[in-house]
Amino acid sequence: MSSRIDLKVETRHEELQRIFATVEELAEEEDWPPALTFKTNLVLEEFGLNIMNYGYDEGIHTFDVSLTSGADTITIEFVDDGRPFNPLEDVKAPVLDSEIQDRPIGGLGIHFVMELTDDFQYRRENSRNHSIMTIRKSD
Amino acid sequence: MNVESRREGTNLVLKADGRVDGTNASEFQDAMKSEINESDRAVVLDLEDLTYISSAGLRVVLLIAKDLQRQGAKMAACSLSDPVREVFVISGFDKIIPIHDSQDSAIGALG
Repeated sequence: MSSRIDLKVETRHEELQRIFATVEELAEEEDWPPALTFKTNLVLEEFGLNIMNYGYDEGIHTFDVSLTSGADTITIEFVDDGRPFNPLEDVKAPVLDSEIQDRPIGGLGIHFVMELTDDFQYRRENSRNHSIMTIRKSD
Repeated sequence: MNVESRREGTNLVLKADGRVDGTNASEFQDAMKSEINESDRAVVLDLEDLTYISSAGLRVVLLIAKDLQRQGAKMAACSLSDPVREVFVISGFDKIIPIHDSQDSAIGALG
């Protein structure tokens, strides 16, 4: 048995609240452990903010987010018509080992997504980015 | 999100609770900054009641760590929940900010 939630999200940071509320509701319904709720929220926030901040030149745009909760996994799919972005190829590895003063600010969001998801797939289709990530429910 | 501060001897203890995400990270930054004095030499960030932090919040932690280092102050974090600890570790922040299991051990280590 699985449940699927589809959201249309605008490229405004306040939209995160609606995403978090959706996750909280599902987590409560299915009695997720807090660590799973944390991870799901984090992946949605980081990937969502990346589209909001870097996907488009200007203006408010809308993209699709779906959240599917299956028996063993949570699948998150983002579909956006922003500029092509394949996190598997287009992301520089973050600097994680320099001293405090040399540590760059930022660049961690997509790194978090890659570290916290168990599978990540990307395809560009009909001028849209399809980014599909899976989180296992048990570590 | 809320930040409470307390001075214990020469240590400043900042206790953050709730959620720090992309929508309130700048408030978190203002709240932390307003509690820190230039004369502070040791700051403990107690994250026991922090339920969520994203890269936007970690960015603030790093900015504060940079400020503190510039003023010659030491910083430590304590009482992280498992998921918060995990984001510190995957960010490599545990290498630049010592993490302790309790406030007492963090204060002890800062001296």
